[in-house]
Amino acid sequence: MKKDNTEIYNNIIGIPKAISYYNNYPFYFGFFKGLGFDILLSDKTTTKLINEGSNYVVSDTCLPIKVFVGHVINLLEKGCNTIFIPSLQSTAYKVNNCTKIRGLPEIIRNVIDRPFKMIEPTLDKTNNISFKDFCYDTAHQLDIFDENKIEVAIQYGWSIYNNFQQMTLAGIPFEDAIKYAIENKIVSKPIEIVKPLSVVIMAHGYNLFDERISMSLIKKLEKMGVKAYTGLNVSKQDAISSIEKLGEIQYWANELDLTGAAAYYMLNNKVDGIIALSAFGCGPDSLMVDEIQYHASEKGLPMIHLTIDEHTGEAGFITRVEAFVDMLIRRKRKILKDNNNIKRLPSSKREQTAKKDDKTVNFV
Amino acid sequence: MKEERQREEQKNRFFQKDNTIATKDRVVAWPRMGNIDLALVALVSSLGVKIVEAPPNSNEALEIGVKNSIEGICLPYKLNLANYIMALEKGANTLMMFQAPGSCRFGNYTKMAQKTLKKMGYKFDMVVFDMYQSKMKQTLQAFWHVTRCANPYRYYKGFSTGFNKAFAIDTAERLLFYTRPRELNKGEAERCYKKWYKIIAETTSIWGCKQLKKQIINDFKKIPIDKNKIVPKVYLLGEFFVLLDPYTNKEIEKTLGDLGVEVERQIFFSDWLEHVLQPSFLYKKESHRERCVRFAEKYMKRAIGGETIETIGDTVFAAKNGIDGVIHIMPFSCMPEIVSQNILTKVSKEENIPVMSLVLDEQTGKAGYQTRIEAFIDLVKRKKVRQKNIKNKEEGILQC
Repeated sequence: MKKDNTEIYNNIIGIPKAISYYNNYPFYFGFFKGLGFDILLSDKTTTKLINEGSNYVVSDTCLPIKVFVGHVINLLEKGCNTIFIPSLQSTAYKVNNCTKIRGLPEIIRNVIDRPFKMIEPTLDKTNNISFKDFCYDTAHQLDIFDENKIEVAIQYGWSIYNNFQQMTLAGIPFEDAIKYAIENKIVSKPIEIVKPLSVVIMAHGYNLFDERISMSLIKKLEKMGVKAYTGLNVSKQDAISSIEKLGEIQYWANELDLTGAAAYYMLNNKVDGIIALSAFGCGPDSLMVDEIQYHASEKGLPMIHLTIDEHTGEAGFITRVEAFVDMLIRRKRKILKDNNNIKRLPSSKREQTAKKDDKTVNFV
Repeated sequence: MKEERQREEQKNRFFQKDNTIATKDRVVAWPRMGNIDLALVALVSSLGVKIVEAPPNSNEALEIGVKNSIEGICLPYKLNLANYIMALEKGANTLMMFQAPGSCRFGNYTKMAQKTLKKMGYKFDMVVFDMYQSKMKQTLQAFWHVTRCANPYRYYKGFSTGFNKAFAIDTAERLLFYTRPRELNKGEAERCYKKWYKIIAETTSIWGCKQLKKQIINDFKKIPIDKNKIVPKVYLLGEFFVLLDPYTNKEIEKTLGDLGVEVERQIFFSDWLEHVLQPSFLYKKESHRERCVRFAEKYMKRAIGGETIETIGDTVFAAKNGIDGVIHIMPFSCMPEIVSQNILTKVSKEENIPVMSLVLDEQTGKAGYQTRIEAFIDLVKRKKVRQKNIKNKEEGILQC
């Protein structure tokens, strides 16, 4: 492998396993395959990788960016010399992304002092740079100017992305969905064991599905007998319409993963609680979580906000989750009990219990 | 276009204009930011509406803001919210705020403030100036909604006096920055500035406002200064609000001036006003932003919101124009400025200019802050003296 890196890696594009990987990787995969490139992914996130990433940036930078820098370094160490770092500025008119995600290529260019080729297309629908332009820009930067080839690649990318979306909407876990989508397969939903509790996790894909960052929160919840819904299980239209139903305006580009998902499940009464997972110092999250917290307390839905950074200890983290789940179980048991009693109780007493219930419910 | 219209409708639904308040009963207030009041008071009062000025930003105000806002929000919002609350307590019923979506959390301020204040039980009408596209139209619409004033002379008077006052106070500030480190009698420049601040606030006639700038320049020229003093020049860059608000930045300009440093601030309210309100085809010279984009080209290929590109462009500009150092200030957890901080490390190394980043939040102590500034200024001064020595040596060799 090591003897002639440039020749081996000439036709390979490196994609860091962070930030937009968790939302768009199936499309990137299909698109680059269609253009005739192979894809090299960075390794799984580890503590060492995070530390390496944080060496390059100033301390105020948030965890996901540090992780991203770590992944880029990892790719460079593997010998990859073409890395795909898109700048996703805005995904709809006046719906912008977080500044750090918008400026990812700028950060990487100025922070990492090694020679490599950066593919840095821009998506900015507010200023009339559409998704098609984004794809063409990517291809042009890779010296491909054949329009037919690009169109076919875009089609292929969408087909894989659609498969992926179909599977995630049906409830297949993220990792499996990506694996099947890349193999160009659609797998139908496995038979589901009904779980006593269900929660919705509002978090960005890059926080939630990265097992090191989220400390495999979904798996932990599953072990406790809790079904966890995520933003991937809600379609875009549903998410947007439920944000509107709450009376809010979508402001951030990646808001659908958080507010959209939480609003959808909250409005449809499908969950017993909300878990918010966000990185420390995340600007957009601080606003979105507050928004949902406001509506959750109005609806009487319990909610917990977990903040993570590179020093978060797993023990403290799990204790908080366990306590929350315990609380949910007790609350649900009480509600069921009260509901059974209601039939036998006289009307005045029913009101009393309902009032009592309200008080206990308002825990946020 | 369809998307635009949808978005506009959405916004209008959220910020429903309250027409129940009669124009007579309206009492207008806005968040404080440096000298912005001078211009706004002139403008709004000439349109015939009552005004309540929120008390200046202080520890007390900050405490109110911190108490009522969420944990993760940035410092300017906390102060804005405090201003609103204090103004509402004083009897205001119409709140004005401009917003520019797409920059950072700033675009969400009005939305959040409205919700928080309503939750607290206040009744008010929020008027939003959307500084995105068709700015002049938006501004006039908002003023029409508040004042119902159809007299064009009053608009002319308001805008004319407002603009002239903004230009006058900024000229005074620029002269103050120049004079303060060079003055022979300590405190004279400061006194002069304060005197003119009062005069500007009290002037009401159009003609009087137009004359202000000249008078200020003449008056500052009378202050005796030491012209031969070696004065290092430092650029002050960073986030808009923190730069313009003297409480938040702990009067950094005064601190620096007293240390014998000439401060130059690139962001002034009047410049920004001129740039924002003018249609782009009327720009006569290269605007500040265009210059920044040109200079930042090596480091940044796209604008990413906030004032990142201005910060980077100005730093490069400073390095190319013989400025001795750059002080970069920002509120804690400001997203665009964290990106600039990352990039500034490289700019500082490549352009060979000392840069110091100061992060401000509600817990910033003045002592620690002062020490850092002093150490930085020492470094800048020493560098300046060394450069001069090297220059003298080279000249000496040439003379031989």
